[in-house]
Amino acid sequence: MGSKSLSRVDRITYFLLTIVGLISASFIVFISIFIALKGVLPFLTDNLGLGSVSLFKFLTQTVWLNGPTFVSTAYGAGFLIVNTLYIAFLSLLISFPIGVLTALFIAKIAPKKIAGILRTIIELLSAIPSIVYGLVGVGFFLPIIYSLARSLGYSSSGGSGTLATVFVLALMSIPTITSISEVSIRSVDQSIEHASLALGATFTQTRFKITLLAAKSGIFSGAILAIGRSLGEATAVSLVAGNARSGPTFGLFDITSTITSTMLTGLKETQGIDYDIRFSLGIVLMVVILLTNMILNYIKKKVGNVHA
Amino acid sequence: MRNKTRLSDILLNGFVYLATSLSVLALGLIFFYVFTEGKDLLSLDLIRGNYHSRNYVATLPQSSNDSFNLQPTEQTFAIERFGLILEQSENLAGDSVIRVVYVADDSPFSQLVLQETGNEVVSLKEGMIMMRIAYENHPTSLTSRGAAAMAADLNDPDRVVREVMFAQVGGGIRGSIITTVYLIGLTLMMALPLGVLSAIFFNEFAPRNMITKTMRTFTETLTGVPSIIFGLLGITVFVPLTIRITPASGSNLIAGAMTLAVILLPTIIRTTEEALKVVPADHRFASLALGANKTQTVFKVVLPQAIPGILTATFLGIGRIIGESAALIFVLGAAIKDSVNIYQPSTSLAVHIWAMMTDEPANVALSSTIAIIILMIVLVMNLSIKGVVSLMIKKGRA
Amino acid sequence: MEPIIKVENLDLYYDKFQALKKISLEIHQNKVTALIGPSGCGKSTFLRCLNRMNDLIEGMRMDGTILFHGEHSESSTYDVIGLRKKVGMVFQRPNPFPMSIFDNVAFGPRQQGEKNKQVLKEIVEKSLKQAALWDEVSDRLSESATKLSGGQQQRLCIARAIAMEPEVILMDEPTSALDPLATQRIEDLIEELKKNYTIIIVTHSMQQAARISDKTAFFLMGEVIEYGSTADIFANPNDKRTEDYITGRFG
Repeated sequence: MGSKSLSRVDRITYFLLTIVGLISASFIVFISIFIALKGVLPFLTDNLGLGSVSLFKFLTQTVWLNGPTFVSTAYGAGFLIVNTLYIAFLSLLISFPIGVLTALFIAKIAPKKIAGILRTIIELLSAIPSIVYGLVGVGFFLPIIYSLARSLGYSSSGGSGTLATVFVLALMSIPTITSISEVSIRSVDQSIEHASLALGATFTQTRFKITLLAAKSGIFSGAILAIGRSLGEATAVSLVAGNARSGPTFGLFDITSTITSTMLTGLKETQGIDYDIRFSLGIVLMVVILLTNMILNYIKKKVGNVHA
Repeated sequence: MRNKTRLSDILLNGFVYLATSLSVLALGLIFFYVFTEGKDLLSLDLIRGNYHSRNYVATLPQSSNDSFNLQPTEQTFAIERFGLILEQSENLAGDSVIRVVYVADDSPFSQLVLQETGNEVVSLKEGMIMMRIAYENHPTSLTSRGAAAMAADLNDPDRVVREVMFAQVGGGIRGSIITTVYLIGLTLMMALPLGVLSAIFFNEFAPRNMITKTMRTFTETLTGVPSIIFGLLGITVFVPLTIRITPASGSNLIAGAMTLAVILLPTIIRTTEEALKVVPADHRFASLALGANKTQTVFKVVLPQAIPGILTATFLGIGRIIGESAALIFVLGAAIKDSVNIYQPSTSLAVHIWAMMTDEPANVALSSTIAIIILMIVLVMNLSIKGVVSLMIKKGRA
Repeated sequence: MEPIIKVENLDLYYDKFQALKKISLEIHQNKVTALIGPSGCGKSTFLRCLNRMNDLIEGMRMDGTILFHGEHSESSTYDVIGLRKKVGMVFQRPNPFPMSIFDNVAFGPRQQGEKNKQVLKEIVEKSLKQAALWDEVSDRLSESATKLSGGQQQRLCIARAIAMEPEVILMDEPTSALDPLATQRIEDLIEELKKNYTIIIVTHSMQQAARISDKTAFFLMGEVIEYGSTADIFANPNDKRTEDYITGRFG
């Protein structure tokens, strides 16, 4: 609407609302600026006489801290990056098939009433806060993993470690993948499914070869979203990861830590470099999430173009 | 070839059913586990009680040696002299304790005077633990001697009570509940106006140009940010801000509410915008054609119709607030408090679980009880949203 | 000669509504049979009975017999998958799969278990040639099928159906979504195809029926009013309703 038709009252309203809109839009800016500022400090300043942290070492080192706290600046987050990505993708390996197949069932196979119930179940799962997942992880998964490790001959720190983290994250990712995939699958044009059946394919063949194929763009988006959330998850992970101080950890029964778990539990101080460094981790986290999203979206486009 | 097809079909279908069962099992697992572990502790006392146990030392007021009529059971010990019934029991750690079962309304033990302040009156209550009772010129009744001995001592008419030491068992979550309620209130107070007005701006007033498009993108980007990053925002911006303008001196509840408000913002904006979009353009035209200006049209005609959507956003927000942990751990702290002050650190229910689970030893039982409460509230919120939506459909608005 | 498909007293209900009433019809091999009539009179429903695609609709009930090569294809114990391999279908709107042109045509054979690359290549080439599409796409078989024009997509769908080497091809208004030029090409194609296949085509256009079909059945309100050679139907209709429809008095 052109401003000519706005009365004086409207102009005031417009002005006030613009301010409100600007406030809302500004938060992401604040986040970026403030965290970036505080996060690069350890690399640029002298850290109260301790010397600056080497950026290269920070990104590649495999031990969290060489030397005593408040004296050493040898922080290394390299292994955290590797762990975080490793765990996120492992958990996707579990949650993706479960999620997509459940979505297929709800969207195409289940009778209407059951589909409705299942949809509610998935909605409930996605509403459960992460701390509860962490609680179940500690109380239920850890003892099981501990016994499993023992029976296989591995030592494990009470069950904490990679496998526990992967399970918890997989559990949390299932509702995300299921709900997005389900919408995608449901919106597949029935006509091509009929075409497939008319060619003499069975229902199952049609579902797997045609329906899932046609929905693959949406399904992929769901997976990307799930990975993003897994990368950023903090409380649930920190309860079951075990807080390893060095790495990277690939063994399923060994303790591990992620970027987020270190931000949450690895830092006890409220001042100085041990405090500031968590902002540096925050920057690393955002960069990892952004890059992962960009790369995965690029792959999604490429794969999408090949077929349709 | 047909048999091969049939085999692969059966296999694939099997996987589909397996996957679905696993998803259902997942939900069942969580609810079942949380309920089994936590149901025992669920009680009204839990909600009303302090978390930290508190010891009291007090003196008995002057008593007339009344005799009370008491009905003890076989396992309990009655002290007719003071209107008190005690029992031998165990605390959560397994140690023997002497538990108070009954205190008569007019018992002198209901008007104990605290030693530290000299005039504060406290009542011994059912559920409290008697630790020791000191007498004039007689040996002290101790927990280690047992409830029977303490009862016998107290009933002895020669003994004059000098000092009573008792404890309020902790493990209550009142502090965290109050914190959570404060958080919900403060956060919604900040987030709803900001969010709804922003939605009105974007949907009703903003012209379509690069600036507003950028503003919109910036606002929506917030959804992809993990909550721990919001925690960082909280401690760099909101905590120092509140320290400067309020009596706060460190992490505090208000800063926590501000952080939560930013977390909720994109959801509120998106939900409200969708509700605004559903309002038919005709209504706006009709209002303007009647001579109303745009402001009146938006606030008196359009917005009221978007109320169900705003309600949905509110319920979603409450669910989110209750479940949020990572950001609050940074901004609100992880220290469980019994008296809650909005300028001080505290714990919400979710953070309370966190604090207990990272403690040594982890209190899984109480954590599960809190989890039950959280899940119940989340369930209610979700059902409310469904209720709102179906109401909207019935009224033909969805 | 025995008709390849013989329908006797076919009734079809969608819940309470009766869509087909006592249809009796014979389809002869290597002929083009056109089903004409106003909208909603059951032509497409009837067509879908022949390859049991109506099974997909909830609340559908069928009585009567459909003999395919003398066997009761309407029976619940009949091999429906096998039927659909022998009775192919082309739909009103082109519906290529979101895959390459090659994969579209090869889909049917692949689902039946054909894995040999050479065999598949031959099948694809043969089918595309029969569908008069080969010349236009032979150099870009790996391109996405959705990039083709509407007419090309429909010919692709025909090629896809032909790849199964069916005996009968059912066409449900195959040119109604296409422009006149594309329509012409497909009509020419049908002329060629009938040498090797039996074709049953539902069409809204009487001109199309007159142009390309050997036999025509006139449907009205779920019944077959008249059925005979196209020449007879159009020149000498027996029933007044047929005459009214053909002369455009309704429909």
